[in-house]
Amino acid sequence: MKQYGNFLSFLGIAVLTLAISILLILMVGSNVNQAFFSFLSGIFGSFYSVSEVLVKATPLILTGLGVAVGARSGFINIGAEGQLYMGAIAVTCLAFWLHDLPAIVMIPMVILGGFVFGGVWSVIPGFLKARFGISEVITTLMFNYIAIGIVGILVRTMLKDPSSSLPMSAFLPDSATLPVLMSTTRLHAGLLIALISVVLVWILVWKTPIGYEMRAVGLNPRACKCSGISVYKNILRSSMISGGLAGIAGVCEVSGLHHKLLEGISPGYGYIAIIIALLGKNHPVGVVIAALGIAALQLGSLGMQRMAGVPTSISSIIMGVVVLLILARKSIFRRLLTDE
Amino acid sequence: MALLSMKNINKSFFGKMANNQVCFDLEPGEIHALLGENGAGKTTLMNILYGIYSRDSGDILWKGKEAAFSSPRDAIAFHIGMVHQHFMLVPTLTVSQNITLGLREKGYPFPNRKTLNATITEVSKKYGLQIDVDAYISSLSVGEQQRVEIIKLLYRDAELLILDEPTAMLTPQETEYFFEVLRKLRADGHSVIIITHRIPEVMSITDRVTVLRDGYNVLTAKTSEITEQELSQYMIGRQLHSIHREPILPDVDSEGLVLEEVSLKENGRERLDLPSLRIAPGEIVGIAGVDGNGQKDLVEVILGIRKQSSGKIRMDNVDMSSMSVLKRKKLGIGYISDDRQRDGLVMDMNLTDNILLKTHTDDRFIKHGLIDDRLVWEDTQKAVEEYAIKTPGLNTPLRYLSGGNQQKLILARELAGDPKAIVAHQPTRGLDIGATEFVQQQLLQRRSKGCCILLISADLEEILLLSDRIAVIYKGRIMGIFPNTEDLNLSNIGLMMAGRTPDVREGSL
Amino acid sequence: MDSEFIALITMFLVASVRMATPLILAGLGEAVSEKAGILNIGVEAIMLSGAFFSFIVAFFTGNLFLGLLAGIMGGVFVSMIHAVLSIHCKANQTIAGLALNFMMMGLTSFLFLMVFGQTTTLPSISVFSDVQIPLLSSIPIIGPALFNQNVFVYLALICIVVTAVFFYKTEWGLNLHAVGEHPQAANSAGLNVFAIRYFACFINGVLGGLGGASITLGQLGFFMENVTSGKGYIALVVVILGRRNPIGIFAAAMVIGCSQALQYNLQTLGFPIPTQVFTMFPYVVAVIVLFLSIGKSIDPTALGVPFERNKR
Repeated sequence: MKQYGNFLSFLGIAVLTLAISILLILMVGSNVNQAFFSFLSGIFGSFYSVSEVLVKATPLILTGLGVAVGARSGFINIGAEGQLYMGAIAVTCLAFWLHDLPAIVMIPMVILGGFVFGGVWSVIPGFLKARFGISEVITTLMFNYIAIGIVGILVRTMLKDPSSSLPMSAFLPDSATLPVLMSTTRLHAGLLIALISVVLVWILVWKTPIGYEMRAVGLNPRACKCSGISVYKNILRSSMISGGLAGIAGVCEVSGLHHKLLEGISPGYGYIAIIIALLGKNHPVGVVIAALGIAALQLGSLGMQRMAGVPTSISSIIMGVVVLLILARKSIFRRLLTDE
Repeated sequence: MALLSMKNINKSFFGKMANNQVCFDLEPGEIHALLGENGAGKTTLMNILYGIYSRDSGDILWKGKEAAFSSPRDAIAFHIGMVHQHFMLVPTLTVSQNITLGLREKGYPFPNRKTLNATITEVSKKYGLQIDVDAYISSLSVGEQQRVEIIKLLYRDAELLILDEPTAMLTPQETEYFFEVLRKLRADGHSVIIITHRIPEVMSITDRVTVLRDGYNVLTAKTSEITEQELSQYMIGRQLHSIHREPILPDVDSEGLVLEEVSLKENGRERLDLPSLRIAPGEIVGIAGVDGNGQKDLVEVILGIRKQSSGKIRMDNVDMSSMSVLKRKKLGIGYISDDRQRDGLVMDMNLTDNILLKTHTDDRFIKHGLIDDRLVWEDTQKAVEEYAIKTPGLNTPLRYLSGGNQQKLILARELAGDPKAIVAHQPTRGLDIGATEFVQQQLLQRRSKGCCILLISADLEEILLLSDRIAVIYKGRIMGIFPNTEDLNLSNIGLMMAGRTPDVREGSL
Repeated sequence: MDSEFIALITMFLVASVRMATPLILAGLGEAVSEKAGILNIGVEAIMLSGAFFSFIVAFFTGNLFLGLLAGIMGGVFVSMIHAVLSIHCKANQTIAGLALNFMMMGLTSFLFLMVFGQTTTLPSISVFSDVQIPLLSSIPIIGPALFNQNVFVYLALICIVVTAVFFYKTEWGLNLHAVGEHPQAANSAGLNVFAIRYFACFINGVLGGLGGASITLGQLGFFMENVTSGKGYIALVVVILGRRNPIGIFAAAMVIGCSQALQYNLQTLGFPIPTQVFTMFPYVVAVIVLFLSIGKSIDPTALGVPFERNKR
């Protein structure tokens, strides 16, 4: 009976969300059928649009994975945005500094560099939490702004492209560019990196002793302490991996998509990642599905804007509403979920 | 006429009777003790009076009139006040602010602190409760905080004060001071009910005492007309079960588990002050005592969860004193904690994952750096069969298993690999008869295999059943250690549990 | 002293106070909420809501005061959703706040486009004019900064005083404090923990909404997507720096306001310091403060923890 109730409540959320979307579409005076049609064609309408979903999903998968790994261990990472930018800085600096290396060495190096930069950016709040009990929610949030600021300074000073008046770096050397997977699209090897990371994370968290410890610490730190598992070490580990994955997302965006460092390469991926981790129940497979879903939502809403005149901001509204409904689910559907 | 009269109070929790036809009377102007062991039903009875719990049946008369309070606010309105074991004080506010919290005094919402302070000081002086009204609660000692709690009640014109284990955290000097306050309260016409397990205190300060045992009222008497010995007998009231426990000669070659003058001081308070204690292989040493007398501290110091202030801990001649919990476990120490849901299990993980809490770094389960799920699975399956754990499957989260089966899993985990020593803290708490017997059998089996077992329990019957030697702990000290023989004087044990060292000349041990 | 220099300082202070005002208002609101134990990351959403609804109403009614009221209602709308989720549904307050940020970002942008369509020139209104308080505004240097400003600045300054009195001089402030520190003790003293928390969230919405309205109706005169641009998050920083003390919040907001005023002044003077140094500044300072406060617990003990009454 409980399973049935659970399913119905999620169905209820889906129905409510649909109803709200229809309401919003009607409010702007658009035709509902046309809106839904253009939403779907925005995603599936062409080969290119499908590839764009995958392009958008790549950083979402990586940052979502990072947030999920942290959450499993009790580390609430709000700083994926900043960690992504730190990864972007890493790849840019490394690429220019070691520009003579062949791609076969360069690519792994920049991925590692992104992981390290992102990981360090996250392990500092992790240390503050593990050692001093300072809430990582606030520290990671603030580190976001500091990282974004650092990027802004770098692209105007040290990393600025001298041949352009705009604040951005020069193009990265070819050896630091991720190859495109399909010639008519922007889909790049970052997707493969993301999928490989999914597999690696799954193995790490569910199949290794270290992963086991991180999960146990996230669920019951006191029992871990009584069993000899170091809560301190595991908070540090999980915060590092969490930030490292977000850092890799930054590498992929710079190396695969923009090919240079500039401001605004992330339209809030780090924050959306938190929603993705929630929707995906902090599980790698769930994260992939949620990331694809959100990417599709964003692309579909672009289609809706182009062809039906519905503003793209509808996707943010829907994302927020879905999370709010999930948070309130047990209260809204109370009668469905309690035993009679 | 009795001030308070509780008649035939019944209350059960999850099928277990916490209060069984309990009658309790209070005369005006008396200090009356509610005496009993853990789980006797004392706090439950008072919580019912105070409106925190609702009774199943029975009558309560206050000043001759029906009075069934549905919340503490009602009880306070009728001038009944209770001070709980865990103080309800906001640490970052001052004494004065805490005392007036929730009241709408003159000038509300702008309190005139000066006038309020004057009234509070007046009240406190009257009963000899010296306190600095402007001090922050966090800067006060436990004894001072207790004074604040009492002043809180008096400020609200409480006629009856109920105090739950008031001397649990007090030093001897603070306790004396506290008794003076009680005497003044009584002289002024207030009535006091003290919930306690400490017989010496009952003898020093109370007028009458009611003893509860297993939910029943077994005695109400005038303190002047009863002896400590009799009280402890009523309190414990056990009959020795005859149990077949083979006499085992402890292994003299191995050292076993040794505590060498271990002491623990925290926040300026002495929590443990032990003599040297050796638990030999093949021996069960039972530590009897009422909860809250240092048992938890003892257990955590042995396991390494907390570090002792002085003294050494050794296992078979290896000095464990500075070793981490993990190292001690690997040396062969098994741990059954008193709170399995908090300390021993991850409730949201399944059976295999909970077993892994101990074995996840074991080489036999790790292949190429990865946990071999199949081996872990087989291992868990074996454990489930061996310990007859009832579960829908190995994948079931622990929270869906009954308490007994959860405890069996812990046993399976901690007893695997033939540990050299086992520390068992309340191992049968909350278990039904079947599960209890199973756990006790397991401990006896390990004993015959040569394991050093330290058993800590508030259930004296269990201690008597299983132990080769019995030690009594009281306020962090060992009151005495005796071999568990047929002619063991139970009432002396009871006295020691309640704080008295019996006169050795009186009767045999 | 050079009179030109004094004039420069005075102008600088005037600008600083104006920049600090939204932070003061939103910061005070968040401080009230946090004191009661509710952490609201969604201050950005509250401010955005306040900014949007105050502008829409002011634009279509031509009445700035109605707009101000609408801004308050917009803020309360958001904060009460957060309240229900945190108090009744006992949900994770951080996620709730973030979700609200997303939703309001989208909603305000959506509604704006719906009302005004795609325009190249932003619809605008004239803002509240400055009101000069006679005598006081003639005090050298600080006079104009504090007494020749618009209504939002005065509201902010008044709120600082009112909040300080409320926190430290009234029984209500003590109740709020108790609820955030030790809700069980508050409950056993007879206080209604839930009601007090709802009230705190309400105030959070009122002040945050005012903070948002101060941006559109007090400074810019127009609304655009993401007009608050992170001021809600800076308000969180202000609350930490100011240790939830109204005077501290004022000081912290002033420091950040000064740095923002400095940023504009330096830019016009042609200094090559990148603006990012200034935008990062409050966050760097906050991190340093957190480092320095290690060991001293400054958060209410029950912050972020839902309250459960004991069962019978």
